[in-house]
Amino acid sequence: MIEIKNLVKRYGSLVALDHLNLHIKEGEIFGLLGPNGSGKTTAINCMLALLKYDRGSIRIMGEEMQPDSYRIKQEIGVVMQDVAVFDELSVHDNIDCFCSLYVKDKKRRKELVEDAIRFVGLEDYRRVYPKKLSGGLLRRLNIACGIAHRPRLIFLDEPTVAVDPQSRNQILEGICELNRQGSTIIYTSHYMEEVEQICTRIAIMDHGRCIATGTKEELKKMIKTGETIVIEGVALEEEELRQIQQLPHVFGVGYEEQTLTVRCSGAKHNLIQILGWLREREIPFGQVFSQLPTLNDVFLEITGKQLRD
Amino acid sequence: MLSEMKYALLTKLRNPSIIFWPFVFPIALATLMYFAIGRMEQADFETVPAALVMEESENGRAFSAFLASLGEGSDLIRVEEMTEEDALEALEKGEVEGIFYAGEETGLTVSGNGFPENILHSVLSSYLSGKSAVEDIARLHPEGMPAAEEKLQQYDTAVEQVSLGGKTLNGNAQYFYALIGMACLYGGFIGFGCALWIQANLTALAARRCAAPVHRLRLIVTEFAAGFIVHFANMLILLAYMKYILKLEFAGSNAEMTAVVLAGSMFGVSMGIFVGSIGKMSEGVKIGIILGISMSLSFLAGLMAGSVKNAVERHAPLLNRLNPAALISDALYCINVYDAPQRYAKDMGILTVMSLLMIGGAFLIVRRERYDSI
Repeated sequence: MIEIKNLVKRYGSLVALDHLNLHIKEGEIFGLLGPNGSGKTTAINCMLALLKYDRGSIRIMGEEMQPDSYRIKQEIGVVMQDVAVFDELSVHDNIDCFCSLYVKDKKRRKELVEDAIRFVGLEDYRRVYPKKLSGGLLRRLNIACGIAHRPRLIFLDEPTVAVDPQSRNQILEGICELNRQGSTIIYTSHYMEEVEQICTRIAIMDHGRCIATGTKEELKKMIKTGETIVIEGVALEEEELRQIQQLPHVFGVGYEEQTLTVRCSGAKHNLIQILGWLREREIPFGQVFSQLPTLNDVFLEITGKQLRD
Repeated sequence: MLSEMKYALLTKLRNPSIIFWPFVFPIALATLMYFAIGRMEQADFETVPAALVMEESENGRAFSAFLASLGEGSDLIRVEEMTEEDALEALEKGEVEGIFYAGEETGLTVSGNGFPENILHSVLSSYLSGKSAVEDIARLHPEGMPAAEEKLQQYDTAVEQVSLGGKTLNGNAQYFYALIGMACLYGGFIGFGCALWIQANLTALAARRCAAPVHRLRLIVTEFAAGFIVHFANMLILLAYMKYILKLEFAGSNAEMTAVVLAGSMFGVSMGIFVGSIGKMSEGVKIGIILGISMSLSFLAGLMAGSVKNAVERHAPLLNRLNPAALISDALYCINVYDAPQRYAKDMGILTVMSLLMIGGAFLIVRRERYDSI
C-alpha cells in the first residue's frame, strides 16, 4: 500500500526525517509511535504530498505520490492532528462539505454523511455548530470529516489528543471497525497503550528515524526485558541495590522514592527470587507488581530514554 | 462544484471577521464622511444675513447697488439696510453675520470667524478688486471712466459653471468615489480569507482540502467566485446605502455604477487571493500587506485629500492608470461627471485585466505547491 524509501526531510540544520524506510501493507493498522518531535506528522505530511522533502521516494498504491496525484488522493482520508473543521458550518454540513470534495453524487453523499454521523455517534448533534461541541465530540467530528467518503487508506494523526477516556475508547473502537470494513490505517500517537491496543504493526520513531518495526510481540522479543518487577515502600541501601543487581536474570535496577524497579530477562520465577531475597534480609515492603514488557520498555532499551521524555 | 460553492459562500457569509472590513467599515466611513463633508456642503449654501449701514456718497451708492445685484441673482446673501445702532444690535443678537459699511470708505464688521463670515469677506473683496480696477482706469485712461463706472454697476455673472458632461459638479463627490474604490479594495480581506482555505501551510483546514482530490485551479476558482459574490453584494449594498439613504448625488445610471463596483470587487478579491498565495509570510503579515496596499492606493486616489490624485496625475500619471482605487474613482467620475464612455471603458478594461493577472498568478503559485513546513 505504501512504500517509503530513504526519505530525508530537513528544516534548515534540523533533520526531521533521517533516511526513513517504511513498508505498509494493505489491510493493516500501522502505528507510528514516537515522542513529540520524532517526525511522525512530518512523515504523514510528506506522504500526503503537502511537504517538500530533500531525498527519497514515496509510492502509494504503486504510484509516486505527487500534489496532483488525484487518483490516489481519491482513495485517501485524512484526520489531521489539529481539528480541521469550519466553525461556520454545522456538524452535518461540515461532513457533507468535506465529503463533497470526494463524492459528487448527491444521493450517494447523503447516505455516506448519515453513515459517518452514526459511525462517530453524533446523531444528536447534526445541526450543532463546532463551537458548541465538547473536545471529545469535536475530535469525533474531525474524524467523521476525514472518513465519510469511505477511503481505502486513512491517515489518523494523533486523533485522541486531549480527549476524555470515554471518547478515546469510542474513537479507538471506531478505528478498528474502519479497518474491519477494509480500510488500511496509518495511526500516529505518542500514547503507547493506544498503539499496542489497536495496531497490527508498529514502527517506533525517534529523531526522524525508524528504530524498530514489527508487531508488538516482535518488538518485545527484540529486547532483553522479559519482566519488570516494581516493589513499592521498600527502604534499601546502595550496597543492597548492588546485590540485587547481581541476582540471576536481573540486568537493570532502579530505585526512586522508596520504589524499586527491577528489570529481568525472560526467565521464570524472577518475582519469587527477588521477594525471597528481601525476606531473607527481613526488609519490609509494600505493594508488588510484575509487568510484562511494554513498548515503552522497547523504546527505553533501544534509545536509553523513556517514550514520554 | 455547486456544493463546494454553497459551502464556500456559507463559510464567508457567517464569518464576521471576514465581513466587517469590506462591508461594515465602508458603510460606517461613508456615514461619517456624509456628516463631515456632505453636511458641510449644505451649510455653504445657506443664505447669509447681513446688515448694510449707508452713508451718502458716490462710492456708497455703488457698493449698495453691488450688494443688491448679488441678492437678486442668488440666495448667497440677504442684505438689509439699517442704522448703525440697529445693525450692531442685530450683530450682537446673531440676527446678522456681519455689517457692511457703504460710504466714502467701504468696510465690514463681523463677530466670528466661520463660513458665513468668510462669504461676507469674499463679497467685500470682490467689490474692492473691481473698485481698484476703476481707479486704475481713472488714473491711466480717464477717457474710459464713464464706461467703466457704468460697467461696475452691472454685476452680471461673467462665468457660468457647467460640467463637461452636463452632470454633477459636487466637489465633495470625489471623496465618496475614492471611498467606493477603497471599499472595493477591501475585498482583499475576503480574498485573503479564500487563500487561507487553499494554502496548506496556513491552516489545518487548507491542509485537509489540499489532501483532497481537487484540482488547485478548481479550488481557487470556487473560492474566488464565492468571495466575489459576497463582496459584490457588499458593494451593491454600499452603493444603495449611499444613493438612497445618504442621498448622495450619483448622476450615472445604476447599470454603469454596478459595472464599476463589479470590476472593483473582482479586483479586490483577486488581489487578496494573490497576496494570500505569495511567499511564506504569516497570516498577520499578509493581512498587514493587504491593509497597507488598500490604504496607500486609496490615499493616492484622493480618499484623504482630494488634491493628492491631481498631484499624482501631474507628476506620475502612469500611477493613476495602474492604481485600481484611482481607476475605480476615475470610472465613477467618467459616468457621473465627464460623460466619457471611452475612458470609462478603458478603466474597466485595465481593472479586469489586472484581476485576471492576479488570479492567474495565484494559480501559478499554488498549483503544484508542496510546502517547506506546515
